[in-house]
Amino acid sequence: MSEPATLSLAEALARLARRELSAGELLESCRARIERWQPRINAFVSSEQRSPGSGTGALAGIPLAHKDMFYRAGQVSNCGSKIRRGWVAPETAAALERLDAAGALDIGALNMSEFAYGPTGHNDHWGDCCNPWNPQYITGGSSSGSGAAVAARLVFAALGSDTGGSVRLPAAACGVTGLKTTWGRVSRHGAMPLAHSLDTIGPLARSAEDCALVLAAIAGHDARDPLTSRAALGLDLEHPFKVAISSAWIERNAHPEVAAAVFAAAKVLGNVKEVEPPPFDTLSAHCLTVMQAEASAQHAQWMRTRSQDYSSAVRVRLEAGFAIPAAQYLEVLRLRSLWLERFRATTLADVDIYLCPAIAVPIPTREETGARGGADMPKRLADVTRLTRWVNYLGVPALVLPCGFDSRGLPIGVQLVGQPFAEGTLLAAGHAYQRESDWHRRLPPENW
Amino acid sequence: MAKPLSAEVVEAMLAAQDIPLAPGRAERLAPGVNALNVADPLREALDFERDPTTYLRDLAK
Repeated sequence: MSEPATLSLAEALARLARRELSAGELLESCRARIERWQPRINAFVSSEQRSPGSGTGALAGIPLAHKDMFYRAGQVSNCGSKIRRGWVAPETAAALERLDAAGALDIGALNMSEFAYGPTGHNDHWGDCCNPWNPQYITGGSSSGSGAAVAARLVFAALGSDTGGSVRLPAAACGVTGLKTTWGRVSRHGAMPLAHSLDTIGPLARSAEDCALVLAAIAGHDARDPLTSRAALGLDLEHPFKVAISSAWIERNAHPEVAAAVFAAAKVLGNVKEVEPPPFDTLSAHCLTVMQAEASAQHAQWMRTRSQDYSSAVRVRLEAGFAIPAAQYLEVLRLRSLWLERFRATTLADVDIYLCPAIAVPIPTREETGARGGADMPKRLADVTRLTRWVNYLGVPALVLPCGFDSRGLPIGVQLVGQPFAEGTLLAAGHAYQRESDWHRRLPPENW
Repeated sequence: MAKPLSAEVVEAMLAAQDIPLAPGRAERLAPGVNALNVADPLREALDFERDPTTYLRDLAK
Protein backbone atom coordinates (compact mmCIF):
# COMPACT_ATOMS: atom_id res chain seq x y z
CA MET A 1 0.00 0.00 0.00
CA SER A 2 1.18 3.56 -0.69
CA GLU A 3 1.95 5.81 2.26
CA PRO A 4 -1.15 6.17 4.48
CA ALA A 5 -0.51 9.93 4.69
CA THR A 6 -1.27 10.25 0.98
CA LEU A 7 -4.85 9.05 1.37
CA SER A 8 -7.65 11.58 1.45
CA LEU A 9 -9.18 12.31 4.84
CA ALA A 10 -12.38 10.49 3.82
CA GLU A 11 -10.38 7.45 2.68
CA ALA A 12 -8.34 7.46 5.88
CA LEU A 13 -11.51 7.53 7.99
CA ALA A 14 -12.97 4.64 5.99
CA ARG A 15 -9.82 2.54 6.47
CA LEU A 16 -9.72 3.35 10.17
CA ALA A 17 -13.36 2.25 10.46
CA ARG A 18 -12.57 -1.01 8.66
CA ARG A 19 -9.50 -1.46 10.90
CA GLU A 20 -7.26 -1.67 7.84
CA LEU A 21 -5.19 1.11 9.37
CA SER A 22 -4.53 2.36 12.88
CA ALA A 23 -4.36 5.96 14.06
CA GLY A 24 -0.77 5.28 15.04
CA GLU A 25 0.12 4.27 11.47
CA LEU A 26 -1.49 7.42 10.11
CA LEU A 27 0.46 9.58 12.52
CA GLU A 28 3.72 7.75 11.84
CA SER A 29 3.24 8.21 8.10
CA CYS A 30 2.58 11.96 8.49
CA ARG A 31 5.61 12.33 10.77
CA ALA A 32 7.83 10.57 8.22
CA ARG A 33 6.68 12.92 5.46
CA ILE A 34 7.17 15.97 7.70
CA GLU A 35 10.75 14.89 8.34
CA ARG A 36 11.42 14.64 4.60
CA TRP A 37 9.54 17.74 3.47
CA GLN A 38 10.02 20.31 6.23
CA PRO A 39 13.61 21.27 5.26
CA ARG A 40 12.40 21.90 1.71
CA ILE A 41 9.16 23.84 2.30
CA ASN A 42 9.27 25.21 5.90
CA ALA A 43 5.56 24.54 6.42
CA PHE A 44 5.76 24.01 10.20
CA VAL A 45 6.94 26.46 12.84
CA SER A 46 6.53 23.74 15.46
CA SER A 47 5.89 20.04 15.02
CA GLU A 48 5.32 19.38 18.70
CA GLN A 49 2.00 17.66 19.26
CA ARG A 50 -0.57 20.13 20.60
CA SER A 51 -3.57 17.85 21.08
CA PRO A 52 -3.53 14.03 21.13
CA GLY A 53 -7.00 13.49 19.67
CA SER A 54 -9.29 10.74 20.86
CA GLY A 55 -10.71 7.42 19.81
CA THR A 56 -14.20 8.74 19.23
CA GLY A 57 -15.72 11.44 17.08
CA ALA A 58 -16.18 12.14 13.38
CA LEU A 59 -12.47 12.85 12.86
CA ALA A 60 -11.06 10.40 15.41
CA GLY A 61 -7.42 9.56 14.77
CA ILE A 62 -6.88 12.05 11.93
CA PRO A 63 -3.65 14.09 12.14
CA LEU A 64 -4.24 17.79 11.44
CA ALA A 65 -2.21 20.95 12.02
CA HIS A 66 -3.26 24.58 11.83
CA LYS A 67 -2.09 28.06 11.01
CA ASP A 68 -0.12 29.45 13.96
CA MET A 69 -2.87 31.93 14.86
CA PHE A 70 -5.41 29.54 16.37
CA TYR A 71 -4.86 29.80 20.08
CA ARG A 72 -4.53 26.84 22.40
CA ALA A 73 -4.58 27.47 26.14
CA GLY A 74 -1.11 27.29 27.66
CA GLN A 75 0.62 26.88 24.29
CA VAL A 76 2.51 29.29 22.07
CA SER A 77 0.91 31.11 19.12
CA ASN A 78 3.46 33.24 17.32
CA CYS A 79 1.06 34.58 14.67
CA GLY A 80 3.94 34.58 12.17
CA SER A 81 5.42 37.57 13.94
CA LYS A 82 8.35 38.80 15.97
CA ILE A 83 6.03 40.75 18.26
CA ARG A 84 4.15 37.66 19.40
CA ARG A 85 7.08 35.25 19.30
CA GLY A 86 6.69 32.96 22.29
CA TRP A 87 3.32 34.38 23.34
CA VAL A 88 1.34 31.84 25.35
CA ALA A 89 -2.38 31.85 24.64
CA PRO A 90 -4.77 32.04 27.61
CA GLU A 91 -7.60 30.18 25.87
CA THR A 92 -8.33 27.74 23.07
CA ALA A 93 -9.89 28.75 19.77
CA ALA A 94 -13.48 27.63 19.35
CA ALA A 95 -12.63 25.94 16.05
CA LEU A 96 -9.87 23.93 17.74
CA GLU A 97 -12.17 22.97 20.61
CA ARG A 98 -14.58 21.56 18.05
CA LEU A 99 -11.89 19.63 16.20
CA ASP A 100 -10.66 18.26 19.54
CA ALA A 101 -14.20 17.16 20.32
CA ALA A 102 -14.33 15.44 16.93
CA GLY A 103 -11.26 13.42 17.93
CA ALA A 104 -8.72 14.95 15.51
CA LEU A 105 -5.04 15.16 16.46
CA ASP A 106 -3.28 18.53 16.31
CA ILE A 107 0.32 17.71 15.45
CA GLY A 108 1.89 21.14 15.10
CA ALA A 109 1.67 24.82 14.26
CA LEU A 110 1.92 25.92 10.64
CA ASN A 111 3.83 28.80 9.10
CA MET A 112 1.89 31.86 7.99
CA SER A 113 2.37 35.41 6.77
CA GLU A 114 3.16 37.87 9.56
CA PHE A 115 -0.11 38.59 11.38
CA ALA A 116 -1.94 37.05 8.38
CA TYR A 117 -1.27 40.28 6.53
CA GLY A 118 0.35 39.19 3.27
CA PRO A 119 -0.79 37.29 0.17
CA THR A 120 2.39 35.40 -0.78
CA GLY A 121 3.78 33.31 2.10
CA HIS A 122 6.90 35.42 2.62
CA ASN A 123 7.92 35.71 6.26
CA ASP A 124 10.96 37.68 7.44
CA HIS A 125 10.74 36.33 10.99
CA TRP A 126 10.07 32.60 10.51
CA GLY A 127 11.40 32.08 7.00
CA ASP A 128 9.39 31.92 3.81
CA CYS A 129 7.09 28.99 3.33
CA CYS A 130 7.87 27.42 -0.05
CA ASN A 131 5.65 25.86 -2.68
CA PRO A 132 5.91 22.04 -2.63
CA TRP A 133 5.65 21.91 -6.43
CA ASN A 134 8.71 24.15 -6.75
CA PRO A 135 10.24 25.94 -3.75
CA GLN A 136 11.27 28.93 -5.87
CA TYR A 137 7.59 29.87 -6.14
CA ILE A 138 5.21 31.38 -3.63
CA THR A 139 2.76 29.27 -1.68
CA GLY A 140 0.23 32.08 -1.59
CA GLY A 141 -0.75 33.50 1.77
CA SER A 142 -1.47 34.16 4.36
CA SER A 143 -2.27 30.51 5.26
CA SER A 144 0.97 29.50 3.58
CA GLY A 145 1.87 26.57 5.81
CA SER A 146 -1.67 25.22 5.63
CA GLY A 147 -1.55 25.11 1.83
CA ALA A 148 1.96 23.67 1.66
CA ALA A 149 1.44 21.06 4.39
CA VAL A 150 -1.78 19.74 2.87
CA ALA A 151 -0.30 19.70 -0.64
CA ALA A 152 2.79 17.76 0.51
CA ARG A 153 0.54 15.33 2.40
CA LEU A 154 2.04 16.19 5.77
CA VAL A 155 -1.41 16.48 7.36
CA PHE A 156 -4.88 15.55 6.12
CA ALA A 157 -6.33 19.03 6.48
CA ALA A 158 -5.50 22.36 8.10
CA LEU A 159 -7.38 25.43 9.23
CA GLY A 160 -6.63 28.76 7.65
CA SER A 161 -8.13 32.20 7.89
CA ASP A 162 -9.38 34.25 4.94
CA THR A 163 -9.68 38.04 5.13
CA GLY A 164 -8.79 38.85 1.52
CA GLY A 165 -7.96 35.46 0.04
CA SER A 166 -5.76 33.81 2.65
CA VAL A 167 -7.34 30.35 2.36
CA ARG A 168 -7.97 30.46 -1.38
CA LEU A 169 -4.60 31.82 -2.56
CA PRO A 170 -2.54 29.05 -0.91
CA ALA A 171 -5.11 26.47 -1.99
CA ALA A 172 -4.77 27.62 -5.61
CA ALA A 173 -0.98 28.02 -5.58
CA CYS A 174 -0.33 24.71 -3.81
CA GLY A 175 -2.95 22.67 -5.67
CA VAL A 176 -5.32 21.80 -2.82
CA THR A 177 -8.98 22.43 -2.05
CA GLY A 178 -9.75 25.45 0.15
CA LEU A 179 -13.04 26.78 1.48
CA LYS A 180 -13.57 30.42 2.39
CA THR A 181 -16.65 30.28 4.58
CA THR A 182 -19.47 32.80 4.80
CA TRP A 183 -18.74 35.63 7.24
CA GLY A 184 -20.34 34.31 10.45
CA ARG A 185 -20.31 30.60 9.61
CA VAL A 186 -17.37 29.62 11.87
CA SER A 187 -16.60 31.13 15.25
CA ARG A 188 -13.51 33.32 15.34
CA HIS A 189 -13.24 33.16 19.11
CA GLY A 190 -9.63 32.47 20.01
CA ALA A 191 -8.32 33.16 16.50
CA MET A 192 -6.01 36.10 15.89
CA PRO A 193 -8.02 38.99 14.42
CA LEU A 194 -6.95 40.96 11.36
CA ALA A 195 -10.05 42.80 10.12
CA HIS A 196 -13.21 41.86 11.99
CA SER A 197 -15.67 42.77 9.22
CA LEU A 198 -13.91 40.41 6.83
CA ASP A 199 -12.20 37.67 8.86
CA THR A 200 -13.38 34.12 8.23
CA ILE A 201 -12.03 30.68 9.11
CA GLY A 202 -12.05 27.71 6.78
CA PRO A 203 -10.38 24.41 5.93
CA LEU A 204 -7.74 23.51 3.36
CA ALA A 205 -7.85 19.82 2.50
CA ARG A 206 -7.26 17.35 -0.29
CA SER A 207 -10.80 17.39 -1.68
CA ALA A 208 -14.19 19.04 -1.38
CA GLU A 209 -15.39 15.97 0.46
CA ASP A 210 -12.59 16.41 3.00
CA CYS A 211 -13.39 20.10 3.42
CA ALA A 212 -17.00 19.13 4.13
CA LEU A 213 -15.87 16.77 6.88
CA VAL A 214 -13.83 19.50 8.58
CA LEU A 215 -16.51 22.16 8.08
CA ALA A 216 -19.13 19.92 9.67
CA ALA A 217 -16.94 19.76 12.77
CA ILE A 218 -16.20 23.49 13.12
CA ALA A 219 -19.31 25.32 11.88
CA GLY A 220 -22.10 26.66 14.04
CA HIS A 221 -23.17 29.32 16.47
CA ASP A 222 -20.85 30.23 19.31
CA ALA A 223 -21.94 32.77 21.91
CA ARG A 224 -18.34 33.93 22.24
CA ASP A 225 -18.44 35.16 18.63
CA PRO A 226 -21.90 36.78 18.53
CA LEU A 227 -21.75 37.19 14.74
CA THR A 228 -21.87 33.44 14.20
CA SER A 229 -25.01 32.25 12.50
CA ARG A 230 -27.48 29.56 13.49
CA ALA A 231 -28.13 28.84 9.79
CA ALA A 232 -28.24 25.12 9.00
CA LEU A 233 -25.12 23.75 7.35
CA GLY A 234 -27.03 21.68 4.77
CA LEU A 235 -24.13 19.51 3.65
CA ASP A 236 -25.47 17.32 0.87
CA LEU A 237 -22.75 16.45 -1.62
CA GLU A 238 -25.39 15.40 -4.17
CA HIS A 239 -27.10 18.82 -4.06
CA PRO A 240 -27.94 20.06 -7.60
CA PHE A 241 -26.41 23.32 -8.81
CA LYS A 242 -26.24 25.71 -11.75
CA VAL A 243 -23.13 27.67 -12.68
CA ALA A 244 -22.47 31.07 -14.26
CA ILE A 245 -19.26 32.35 -15.84
CA SER A 246 -17.98 35.51 -17.55
CA SER A 247 -15.99 33.96 -20.39
CA ALA A 248 -15.14 37.18 -22.21
CA TRP A 249 -13.66 38.72 -19.06
CA ILE A 250 -11.55 35.62 -18.45
CA GLU A 251 -10.33 35.59 -22.07
CA ARG A 252 -9.33 39.25 -21.81
CA ASN A 253 -7.79 39.22 -18.34
CA ALA A 254 -6.50 35.76 -17.47
CA HIS A 255 -3.30 34.15 -18.69
CA PRO A 256 -4.15 31.76 -21.56
CA GLU A 257 -3.07 28.67 -19.60
CA VAL A 258 -5.20 29.73 -16.64
CA ALA A 259 -8.16 30.51 -18.90
CA ALA A 260 -7.92 27.15 -20.66
CA ALA A 261 -7.88 25.23 -17.37
CA VAL A 262 -10.80 27.22 -15.96
CA PHE A 263 -12.88 26.77 -19.12
CA ALA A 264 -12.18 23.04 -19.02
CA ALA A 265 -13.38 22.94 -15.41
CA ALA A 266 -16.55 24.84 -16.34
CA LYS A 267 -17.20 22.31 -19.08
CA VAL A 268 -16.99 19.46 -16.58
CA LEU A 269 -19.52 21.21 -14.31
CA GLY A 270 -21.81 21.63 -17.33
CA ASN A 271 -24.86 23.80 -18.09
CA VAL A 272 -22.93 27.04 -17.59
CA LYS A 273 -24.66 30.38 -18.12
CA GLU A 274 -22.85 33.49 -19.34
CA VAL A 275 -23.24 36.58 -17.09
CA GLU A 276 -21.65 40.00 -16.78
CA PRO A 277 -18.72 39.92 -14.34
CA PRO A 278 -19.08 41.60 -10.95
CA PRO A 279 -16.99 44.82 -10.72
CA PHE A 280 -14.01 42.97 -9.26
CA ASP A 281 -11.75 45.99 -9.00
CA THR A 282 -14.28 48.29 -7.29
CA LEU A 283 -15.25 45.61 -4.78
CA SER A 284 -11.60 44.75 -4.22
CA ALA A 285 -10.80 48.41 -3.46
CA HIS A 286 -13.68 48.47 -0.97
CA CYS A 287 -12.35 45.30 0.66
CA LEU A 288 -8.92 46.85 0.96
CA THR A 289 -10.38 50.02 2.50
CA VAL A 290 -12.09 47.96 5.20
CA MET A 291 -9.12 45.65 5.69
CA GLN A 292 -6.55 48.38 6.01
CA ALA A 293 -8.63 50.59 8.31
CA GLU A 294 -9.52 47.71 10.63
CA ALA A 295 -6.09 46.07 10.62
CA SER A 296 -4.42 49.37 11.48
CA ALA A 297 -6.86 49.97 14.33
CA GLN A 298 -6.14 46.44 15.58
CA HIS A 299 -2.39 47.06 15.50
CA ALA A 300 -2.43 50.72 16.58
CA GLN A 301 -0.75 50.22 19.97
CA TRP A 302 2.09 48.10 18.59
CA MET A 303 2.51 50.50 15.67
CA ARG A 304 3.08 53.27 18.20
CA THR A 305 5.45 51.36 20.43
CA ARG A 306 7.04 48.55 18.40
CA SER A 307 6.82 49.51 14.75
CA GLN A 308 10.43 48.44 14.23
CA ASP A 309 9.41 44.86 15.06
CA TYR A 310 7.18 44.53 12.00
CA SER A 311 8.63 43.52 8.66
CA SER A 312 8.87 46.38 6.21
CA ALA A 313 6.08 44.97 4.03
CA VAL A 314 3.58 44.66 6.88
CA ARG A 315 4.53 47.99 8.42
CA VAL A 316 3.82 49.76 5.12
CA ARG A 317 0.39 48.10 4.87
CA LEU A 318 -0.40 49.11 8.43
CA GLU A 319 0.78 52.68 7.91
CA ALA A 320 -1.59 53.03 4.95
CA GLY A 321 -4.60 52.17 7.09
CA PHE A 322 -4.04 55.19 9.31
CA ALA A 323 -4.57 57.46 6.30
CA ILE A 324 -8.04 56.16 5.47
CA PRO A 325 -10.68 58.68 6.58
CA ALA A 326 -13.27 57.21 8.97
CA ALA A 327 -16.14 58.50 6.82
CA GLN A 328 -14.74 56.71 3.76
CA TYR A 329 -14.39 53.47 5.70
CA LEU A 330 -17.93 53.68 7.06
CA GLU A 331 -19.45 54.60 3.72
CA VAL A 332 -17.85 51.53 2.17
CA LEU A 333 -19.39 49.41 4.95
CA ARG A 334 -22.79 51.04 4.32
CA LEU A 335 -22.47 50.16 0.62
CA ARG A 336 -21.77 46.54 1.43
CA SER A 337 -25.39 45.37 1.65
CA LEU A 338 -26.23 47.10 -1.64
CA TRP A 339 -23.44 45.22 -3.38
CA LEU A 340 -24.52 41.94 -1.84
CA GLU A 341 -28.08 42.55 -3.07
CA ARG A 342 -26.73 43.42 -6.53
CA PHE A 343 -24.59 40.28 -6.67
CA ARG A 344 -27.53 38.07 -5.74
CA ALA A 345 -29.96 39.81 -8.08
CA THR A 346 -27.69 39.86 -11.13
CA THR A 347 -24.71 37.48 -11.11
CA LEU A 348 -26.55 34.76 -9.16
CA ALA A 349 -30.06 35.58 -10.42
CA ASP A 350 -30.60 32.23 -12.14
CA VAL A 351 -27.71 30.17 -10.84
CA ASP A 352 -26.21 28.93 -7.60
CA ILE A 353 -22.52 29.43 -8.32
CA TYR A 354 -20.30 31.99 -10.04
CA LEU A 355 -17.13 30.45 -11.48
CA CYS A 356 -13.89 32.32 -12.12
CA PRO A 357 -10.14 31.75 -11.70
CA ALA A 358 -8.75 31.92 -8.18
CA ILE A 359 -5.58 33.60 -9.50
CA ALA A 360 -5.74 34.90 -13.06
CA VAL A 361 -1.98 34.91 -13.63
CA PRO A 362 0.71 32.23 -13.36
CA ILE A 363 2.07 31.77 -9.84
CA PRO A 364 5.02 34.19 -9.40
CA THR A 365 8.33 33.34 -7.79
CA ARG A 366 9.22 34.31 -4.22
CA GLU A 367 11.90 36.64 -5.56
CA GLU A 368 9.52 38.42 -7.93
CA THR A 369 7.11 39.18 -5.10
CA GLY A 370 9.57 39.76 -2.28
CA ALA A 371 11.61 42.73 -1.10
CA ARG A 372 13.89 42.41 -4.13
CA GLY A 373 11.01 42.18 -6.57
CA GLY A 374 11.75 45.55 -8.09
CA ALA A 375 9.37 48.04 -9.63
CA ASP A 376 6.98 45.35 -10.92
CA MET A 377 6.44 43.82 -7.49
CA PRO A 378 3.31 45.82 -6.47
CA LYS A 379 1.64 45.00 -9.79
CA ARG A 380 2.46 41.30 -9.38
CA LEU A 381 0.91 41.28 -5.90
CA ALA A 382 -2.19 43.07 -7.20
CA ASP A 383 -2.52 40.49 -9.97
CA VAL A 384 -2.35 37.64 -7.45
CA THR A 385 -5.14 39.07 -5.24
CA ARG A 386 -7.35 40.55 -7.95
CA LEU A 387 -10.03 37.84 -7.82
CA THR A 388 -10.22 37.01 -4.13
CA ARG A 389 -10.84 40.23 -2.16
CA TRP A 390 -14.16 41.03 -3.80
CA VAL A 391 -15.57 37.85 -2.24
CA ASN A 392 -14.58 38.97 1.27
CA TYR A 393 -16.24 42.33 0.76
CA LEU A 394 -19.50 40.57 -0.16
CA GLY A 395 -19.01 38.13 2.75
CA VAL A 396 -20.11 35.13 0.67
CA PRO A 397 -18.48 31.66 0.59
CA ALA A 398 -16.06 30.48 -2.07
CA LEU A 399 -14.38 27.17 -2.83
CA VAL A 400 -11.08 26.82 -4.67
CA LEU A 401 -10.33 23.56 -6.48
CA PRO A 402 -7.20 22.49 -8.35
CA CYS A 403 -8.05 22.37 -12.07
CA GLY A 404 -4.75 21.85 -13.86
CA PHE A 405 -1.09 22.77 -14.09
CA ASP A 406 0.71 25.39 -16.13
CA SER A 407 3.61 24.70 -18.44
CA ARG A 408 6.05 25.14 -15.51
CA GLY A 409 4.27 22.43 -13.53
CA LEU A 410 2.60 24.79 -11.05
CA PRO A 411 -1.04 24.37 -10.02
CA ILE A 412 -3.98 26.35 -11.40
CA GLY A 413 -7.08 26.86 -9.26
CA VAL A 414 -10.71 27.52 -10.14
CA GLN A 415 -12.93 29.45 -7.73
CA LEU A 416 -16.63 28.78 -7.13
CA VAL A 417 -18.50 31.62 -5.37
CA GLY A 418 -21.94 31.09 -3.86
CA GLN A 419 -24.84 32.54 -1.93
CA PRO A 420 -24.39 33.38 1.76
CA PHE A 421 -24.34 30.21 3.87
CA ALA A 422 -24.48 28.00 0.75
CA GLU A 423 -21.20 26.22 1.48
CA GLY A 424 -23.06 22.93 0.93
CA THR A 425 -23.84 23.83 -2.68
CA LEU A 426 -20.24 24.80 -3.37
CA LEU A 427 -18.94 21.59 -1.83
CA ALA A 428 -21.45 19.56 -3.87
CA ALA A 429 -20.16 21.20 -7.04
CA GLY A 430 -16.58 20.63 -5.95
CA HIS A 431 -17.31 16.99 -5.20
CA ALA A 432 -19.01 16.54 -8.58
CA TYR A 433 -15.98 18.07 -10.31
CA GLN A 434 -13.50 15.94 -8.38
CA ARG A 435 -15.39 12.77 -9.29
CA GLU A 436 -14.66 13.64 -12.92
CA SER A 437 -11.08 14.91 -12.54
CA ASP A 438 -7.93 13.83 -10.75
CA TRP A 439 -6.03 17.11 -10.30
CA HIS A 440 -6.66 16.96 -6.56
CA ARG A 441 -5.02 13.55 -6.38
CA ARG A 442 -1.69 14.66 -7.88
CA LEU A 443 1.26 14.70 -5.48
CA PRO A 444 4.20 17.10 -5.60
CA PRO A 445 7.33 15.27 -6.79
CA GLU A 446 10.00 14.09 -4.35
CA ASN A 447 12.81 13.98 -6.90
CA TRP A 448 15.03 16.66 -5.39
CA MET B 1 -15.33 62.17 -5.68
CA ALA B 2 -13.12 63.34 -2.86
CA LYS B 3 -9.88 65.08 -3.74
CA PRO B 4 -6.73 62.93 -3.55
CA LEU B 5 -4.74 63.20 -0.36
CA SER B 6 -1.31 64.77 -0.76
CA ALA B 7 1.78 63.24 0.84
CA GLU B 8 1.81 66.12 3.33
CA VAL B 9 -1.76 65.39 4.39
CA VAL B 10 -1.00 61.68 4.75
CA GLU B 11 2.01 62.48 6.91
CA ALA B 12 -0.05 64.86 9.06
CA MET B 13 -2.85 62.30 9.48
CA LEU B 14 -0.41 59.69 10.73
CA ALA B 15 1.44 62.15 12.94
CA ALA B 16 -1.87 63.14 14.56
CA GLN B 17 -2.32 59.46 15.49
CA ASP B 18 1.22 59.22 16.85
CA ILE B 19 2.42 57.07 13.95
CA PRO B 20 5.82 58.34 12.81
CA LEU B 21 6.83 57.87 9.18
CA ALA B 22 10.31 57.43 7.76
CA PRO B 23 11.41 60.24 5.44
CA GLY B 24 9.87 59.83 1.99
CA ARG B 25 7.40 57.18 3.12
CA ALA B 26 4.35 59.47 2.83
CA GLU B 27 5.11 60.07 -0.86
CA ARG B 28 4.95 56.33 -1.44
CA LEU B 29 1.85 55.80 0.72
CA ALA B 30 -0.35 58.51 -0.76
CA PRO B 31 -0.95 56.95 -4.22
CA GLY B 32 -2.00 53.65 -2.68
CA VAL B 33 -4.39 55.28 -0.24
CA ASN B 34 -5.90 57.44 -2.98
CA ALA B 35 -6.36 54.41 -5.23
CA LEU B 36 -8.84 52.99 -2.72
CA ASN B 37 -11.20 55.95 -3.07
CA VAL B 38 -12.90 54.61 -6.19
CA ALA B 39 -16.01 55.78 -7.99
CA ASP B 40 -18.94 53.59 -7.01
CA PRO B 41 -22.13 53.46 -9.10
CA LEU B 42 -24.21 52.42 -6.08
CA ARG B 43 -23.37 55.49 -3.97
CA GLU B 44 -26.35 57.34 -5.39
CA ALA B 45 -28.65 54.54 -4.25
CA LEU B 46 -27.39 54.62 -0.68
CA ASP B 47 -30.42 55.30 1.56
CA PHE B 48 -29.98 57.67 4.48
CA GLU B 49 -31.22 54.92 6.83
CA ARG B 50 -28.75 52.30 5.64
CA ASP B 51 -25.93 51.65 8.10
CA PRO B 52 -23.25 48.96 8.35
CA THR B 53 -25.51 46.66 10.38
CA THR B 54 -27.96 46.47 7.45
CA TYR B 55 -25.45 44.11 5.90
CA LEU B 56 -25.92 41.54 8.65
CA ARG B 57 -29.66 41.37 8.00
CA ASP B 58 -29.12 41.01 4.26
CA LEU B 59 -26.51 38.31 4.71
CA ALA B 60 -28.97 36.22 6.73
CA LYS B 61 -31.83 36.54 4.20
